[in-house]
Amino acid sequence: MTTDSHATAAEAGSTDWADKHYLLVDDFIGIRILLRESLRNLGARHIDQAASGGEAMKLLAKTRYDVVLCDYNLGEGKNGQQVLEETRVRNLTAPSSVWLMVSAEKSVESVMGAAEHQPDAYLIKPITEGVLLTRLNRVWHKKQVFREIDQACMEKDYLRAAKLCDAQIEVNKLHELELLRMKASLLLKSGEPEKARAVYEKVLADRDYSWARAGLGKIRMNNGEHEAARQIFQGVIVENKYYIDAYDQMAVAYQLMGQHEEACGVLEKAARLSPNSVPRQRNLGLAALKIGNVGMAEKAFRKCISIGEFSVMKTPDAYLGLARVCGLKKDAKEALQWLLLAQREFSPEQIGLRAKITEGMVHHETGDYRRARKCGDELEAMLAEDPARPEKSICMELATLLFAVGVKDAPAGLLCYVVKNNHDNQVVQDEVQKIFDKAKMGDEGTSMIIASRKEASDLMNKGVLLWKTDKLNEAVSWMRAAREKLPNNLRILFNSAQIIVSFLQQRGYQAELAAEAMEVLLYVDKIAPGQQRFAQLMEQLVQLTPPPAPEAELVALEKAPPAAENPGKSVRERAG
Amino acid sequence: MEDQHSSPELFLFLASTVHDMKNSISVVSGTLESLLAAEQAKDVPQADPAYLQMAQMLYQTKRLNDNLIQLLALYKEVGKPGYPFDVQPQLVSQVIDQVVDQEKILLLSKGIRLETQCPPDLIWTLDEDLVIGVLAHAINNAIRYTRDTIRLSVREHGDLLELRVEDNGDGYSQALLEAGSAAMDGMAAGVNFSTNSTGLGLYFSSEVAKMHKHRGSSGSIALENGGALGGGCFILRLP
Repeated sequence: MTTDSHATAAEAGSTDWADKHYLLVDDFIGIRILLRESLRNLGARHIDQAASGGEAMKLLAKTRYDVVLCDYNLGEGKNGQQVLEETRVRNLTAPSSVWLMVSAEKSVESVMGAAEHQPDAYLIKPITEGVLLTRLNRVWHKKQVFREIDQACMEKDYLRAAKLCDAQIEVNKLHELELLRMKASLLLKSGEPEKARAVYEKVLADRDYSWARAGLGKIRMNNGEHEAARQIFQGVIVENKYYIDAYDQMAVAYQLMGQHEEACGVLEKAARLSPNSVPRQRNLGLAALKIGNVGMAEKAFRKCISIGEFSVMKTPDAYLGLARVCGLKKDAKEALQWLLLAQREFSPEQIGLRAKITEGMVHHETGDYRRARKCGDELEAMLAEDPARPEKSICMELATLLFAVGVKDAPAGLLCYVVKNNHDNQVVQDEVQKIFDKAKMGDEGTSMIIASRKEASDLMNKGVLLWKTDKLNEAVSWMRAAREKLPNNLRILFNSAQIIVSFLQQRGYQAELAAEAMEVLLYVDKIAPGQQRFAQLMEQLVQLTPPPAPEAELVALEKAPPAAENPGKSVRERAG
Repeated sequence: MEDQHSSPELFLFLASTVHDMKNSISVVSGTLESLLAAEQAKDVPQADPAYLQMAQMLYQTKRLNDNLIQLLALYKEVGKPGYPFDVQPQLVSQVIDQVVDQEKILLLSKGIRLETQCPPDLIWTLDEDLVIGVLAHAINNAIRYTRDTIRLSVREHGDLLELRVEDNGDGYSQALLEAGSAAMDGMAAGVNFSTNSTGLGLYFSSEVAKMHKHRGSSGSIALENGGALGGGCFILRLP
């Protein structure tokens, strides 16, 4: 046999597959034997095997595997996607490790799942040694291309990561498309939608990709052009009815326009096409509950609980939601059983407060006002005991319940806290006003909202004034105290980080202050991802940080693009 | 497909049965390949009838597997938006290497030479798994017609990527040439399944070709006689 191309042979030498640790997951022993033979022929010596998802999880928790070959269909218990998700969520493999998903056929479920955690490649059985080696080498090569970008992402330095994408595009024609996709998502995370739009449009000028069009839709949505966004998602679905992400996004667009019936309808369609997503069934249940479609909510929550059984994506929302559903159906007994089950499945930190709120609501709705009041009293006592407050939506739920059972001061205080932490967010303030209105405290509520808003902006303005008048020490400590009072106020958090960054720029680097600013920024990104100020401040902060070792500096110098405007500037100057 | 919704349990049962069948076939073909490879490594003349029978078994196993893949794909309606069509920029030479690797043991056991020719740095946007499936099927088919040589070649021709599988046999019959163009006309029912067993393969290949669309043009297949080796010639063109 003759052949002109020797790529496979040449590539086999590009990385050493012999010393790696392998895990084979397949419920069919014959396949495991075949794959083990193929791996041995590549020189592999360390090969473990699992016959089920559960067995795979045990091995993954014990050993750091470099390569996992996992079948999608694993019989009873977890499927391959669920094994992958749990592995990624629990960080059981290194970012450099390779995950190959194996399947007997090319299926919508396995390829188009729009799952959050994607494998590095899909393989269709039967797998020959050559195909295995080709795909292994290809993934390895791709990981090299993305290595620095992934590193920058891990450091949350999204702007640097986006610039690294550009540098790789220059030298990697084959991965150009994926690099562009990555770059666009990084720009979105950095709060640079206009630049992301340019990337999507460049991609679409060449070929029609659903993800690029959906990306344009998301940008429209963030701009508040909800109807335009909805139309884009609709168009994506017409072209590609299995692009599930477009349904989920369209539902969000409807929700933002206040069209909850339509949102629920779209989610129902998506759930029919791809029913085995825990988050989707949860969203459908919540949307149905919102419009009072108790039957649909019940069906969605029950499905959510049953498919979540083996999944790391299992969510308390479904249990609490089902309890609400049973309450609305006046079945207090079953409602309380679900609450009990929820408390057994999840830790008190995850649901303690929410379970109690739901219990109060169930009693209230089933007319047991004495028990509802008792829950209210217990919650009030919990609030008095612990000064920390739960997140916005839980605060509002709690306030609603407390008002309903006749408590006045505690819920008003909670709502003021919510307003102070969102003093420039009109949507939140409108929602708060509605809760006051429902409690027949409309006017009192309005003046409390105004007072809270003023208190927060005064607190912030004083800090900014100290900063502008160059009293940097005082500004830093003032903002620190402001943060303690209003731990979820985005503008206070950002200004606090900004002031620390200026301090470091003007007075020199201090590791402790830099760590404080980093902590503040990472917290903001957790509660409100995709902010432009986050990306800008992160980039400034990373630039201020001295490199850990001389070698690292050298690498940074070599890899810095010569014509770049800002990136790595301070590093170069320091090195020079 | 509608009946997936009306009887999800039956569909799940059928799908899991096919998975099971494919697992078994994978084991059979994998085992045969390693047995044949072990024989080939001995470097002695392979006129042993048992060896030749094994080669024939591998050929039939591959046909069975191809047919199952095609049936599964067609059941999910290739060419319809529901099928997970996944085009990505690919290094074409890498695609060709994977085809060669899938076929090499079988070809060697039947004493057939495979020549390949492909520009090493050519990148094209295509669905890799589907194209590998089509080419592997075309080679399996050419094995029946060739005397001793098959040629797999790739070139950029105008705005199209042209992939050819040619053999040095007597060429396709008139009926087959007609089946080829009928498949391209989208006439699944027009393919005369009684004249040959490749009707499904041609139909599948033409569906795969047509799914590839770019700037208003879509892919196609063609059957011809002649070509570089003077025999039958299967051509896949992708925009």
